[in-house]
Amino acid sequence: MPRAVKGVLIECDPSIKAIILKIDKDSGHGYIVEDLDDETLVVKEPKLAELKLRLEKILEKTQMLEKDEESDPENPG
Amino acid sequence: VVDQIRLWQIEGERMKTTTGFLFKDFHSTQEFEEVAKYAEELGVLKWKKSARRCMFVTRHEQIADWLKRRASAQQQQPKKAAA
Repeated sequence: MPRAVKGVLIECDPSIKAIILKIDKDSGHGYIVEDLDDETLVVKEPKLAELKLRLEKILEKTQMLEKDEESDPENPG
Repeated sequence: VVDQIRLWQIEGERMKTTTGFLFKDFHSTQEFEEVAKYAEELGVLKWKKSARRCMFVTRHEQIADWLKRRASAQQQQPKKAAA
């Protein structure tokens, strides 16, 4: 018999998914239930809000770096 | 408050979320396809990938019942299943 696992399906572009994978890895794999493909994954429902917050913070930093191209970027390479 | 508004901006523009159930570990491709067809007929199938025998559905109760009925039907007719 197949198994059913409760969760939230996230469909997003690959760049967003890459960030989610990194957040999951850095937190000791506390978010992702199943990595399905380049644009799709399932995460734990109780962790979704927290994941979105962390994602938002990272996206904000990325956007700030893009805007401040004149100043030296903090992360070379 | 600003943070909350931005959260909603990510969702919709760059990501879409759906609460439900991931079905996996299907016994065979045939079993997977049958369940996917049933889920689609019920209107609960959200995503599937045949190559991985994985699907995501918005409701699981009817599928679980269907799988149980299917399993018990197969137990009653083992010869037919083996043929």
